[in-house]
Amino acid sequence: MTMYISATFKELTRKRVFLVTIVLTFVFLVLFAFGVREIAGMSEQNPVSPAERLLNSMVLTVLGLFFAQFLASFFVLFSAMGTVTGEVENGLLLAVAARPIPRWKLYLAKWLGHAVWVSVYSTVLFVSVVWTIHSQTGLPLRAEELLRGYGLFLWMPLLLLTLTMLGSVYLPMLGNGICAALLYGFALFSGLVEGVTIYEGTHPAIEKFVFLTGLIIPTDSVYKRSLYELLGGADWAGLAMSDMGPFSMPSVSSNAYLVYTVGYAAVLLLLGCRAFSRKDL
Amino acid sequence: MMMIDTADLTKTYNGRGGCRGITLQVPEGCIFGLLGPNGAGKSTFVKMLAGLHRPDSGRAAVLGLPLGRPDARRKLGYLPELFRFQDWLTPVEVLRLHGRLGGLRSQETRSPAFRGRVRDTLELVGLSEAANRRVGGFSKGMQQRLGLAAALLLDPELIILDEPASALDPIGRYEIRSLLKRLRSKGMTVFLNTHLLEDVEELCDEAAFLYGGELLASGPLHKLLSGTGDSGDNWRFRLGGWLPETRAELNAEAGDALSSLLRLVEADESGNALLSARVADREQAGYLCAAFIRCGLTLYESGPEPNSLEDWFLRMAGSRQGGDPQ
Repeated sequence: MTMYISATFKELTRKRVFLVTIVLTFVFLVLFAFGVREIAGMSEQNPVSPAERLLNSMVLTVLGLFFAQFLASFFVLFSAMGTVTGEVENGLLLAVAARPIPRWKLYLAKWLGHAVWVSVYSTVLFVSVVWTIHSQTGLPLRAEELLRGYGLFLWMPLLLLTLTMLGSVYLPMLGNGICAALLYGFALFSGLVEGVTIYEGTHPAIEKFVFLTGLIIPTDSVYKRSLYELLGGADWAGLAMSDMGPFSMPSVSSNAYLVYTVGYAAVLLLLGCRAFSRKDL
Repeated sequence: MMMIDTADLTKTYNGRGGCRGITLQVPEGCIFGLLGPNGAGKSTFVKMLAGLHRPDSGRAAVLGLPLGRPDARRKLGYLPELFRFQDWLTPVEVLRLHGRLGGLRSQETRSPAFRGRVRDTLELVGLSEAANRRVGGFSKGMQQRLGLAAALLLDPELIILDEPASALDPIGRYEIRSLLKRLRSKGMTVFLNTHLLEDVEELCDEAAFLYGGELLASGPLHKLLSGTGDSGDNWRFRLGGWLPETRAELNAEAGDALSSLLRLVEADESGNALLSARVADREQAGYLCAAFIRCGLTLYESGPEPNSLEDWFLRMAGSRQGGDPQ
């Protein structure tokens, strides 16, 4: 396993796309920090109430983490979409799979190799965004909530990684990338639709649509629960995020749902191991 | 012990292509060539041996172990046909990775003994000077050499090479042939899937011929070429005094049936000619020689043509196509 983590690290760091990712992420974080600093400066010039200041910092957190999870997801999609078929197509997997190592171990090692670096990247994004907002706007953070929010923020791209890798066993690289991106976009879209339609009251049809979408691709629901936890749960999050248009969060997923996502990931991983073990390369 | 032993091994793709009912034995210590035209099912067969494809039916053992078990691949070196190594690694890193995949521990791949093994293997395939360059800058031939190094790294008992010389220049091919001979002298068994008949002719002790997914022939190469099992041998006749009208005289003298076996290969203005004929036996060749003499020709030379693998290959393929194998 450590061999593949190290091999994936070499792959990520020695490809040009890594440099591009680092530069663009750095640019995003600098621009974000600049924007937050400007907004915080404006608040100081035009004093606002502590409650309003808190709300502003929460809104910035929602927006910052929205783009951060977007970047993390694309990092997952582009790095994992060709894990199996892509490597079969370009011949990378042939010499490797002929070695005396069970295919399921190879699959899990590849998942783990990607998971470690996806987690590292997501951690950099999460810490940078949250620390920037905390230091510039004084967003209150409690260790327990921060850890819960952070854990769920990492869980979202890992779920997407598991789904993308399973797709890579069946679909060609480009097809899998498009399919995984569409599914992720679908989940994101359903979350935004839910946020917009909340103004006109609850719609049972939309609730069902969002629920079913969450069962198929739970990324958006987990991300929203991550925000909910980070922003203080029911104490504050409901206050801050009930009036943010598409970014509103009229409902959050339950603990039972989080358990479901664990089962979802486990089943997808098992299916991936099984399919890869039976695949003709 | 048979290094490869298959019985009725079958793999098709939705009922098409692939190979069917392959029963084949590869003895220890030989170089075994797998021949056949494109689409014959050679790569499918090789991929099943390497554990990359799952057979539909039949059984097979590699190094005495059932196919598909990782253990069966422990002492097996494999060079795939269309492969690439990780562009971002150096040959030393690629070999270290394959050492780990082959079952070595991390500490073992960092040991002086393993480093020495890597150095020797790279030297063996002529990549010493590129040992620390990124594979991304390698030519196809260099990648092929690195593939061979990875296959040889863990000192396998059996090595399966799928078109090993396909991307190499003549010097590279000569070096690979020399290397394979050295490996055989060390007792290693080599299973060679190649289109290059001269490689098979020069290297292989045994060969098998696949066509349309079926095994048409297998056995020691000299037996396949000499005891062809078909209806005769090619003979060659070098003659003097050949004139344009000689053909008609010969038809009259030897009879149309016998004369029709003859083919004029070349003739010059001074009357020198080379003829060939596919005869059933030596007696028939003797009748032809007598007919040449009776027609007033000078017989300088006659005898069976040495059997070439190319002729054999074309005859085997032609016999299945139902056409003239030339």
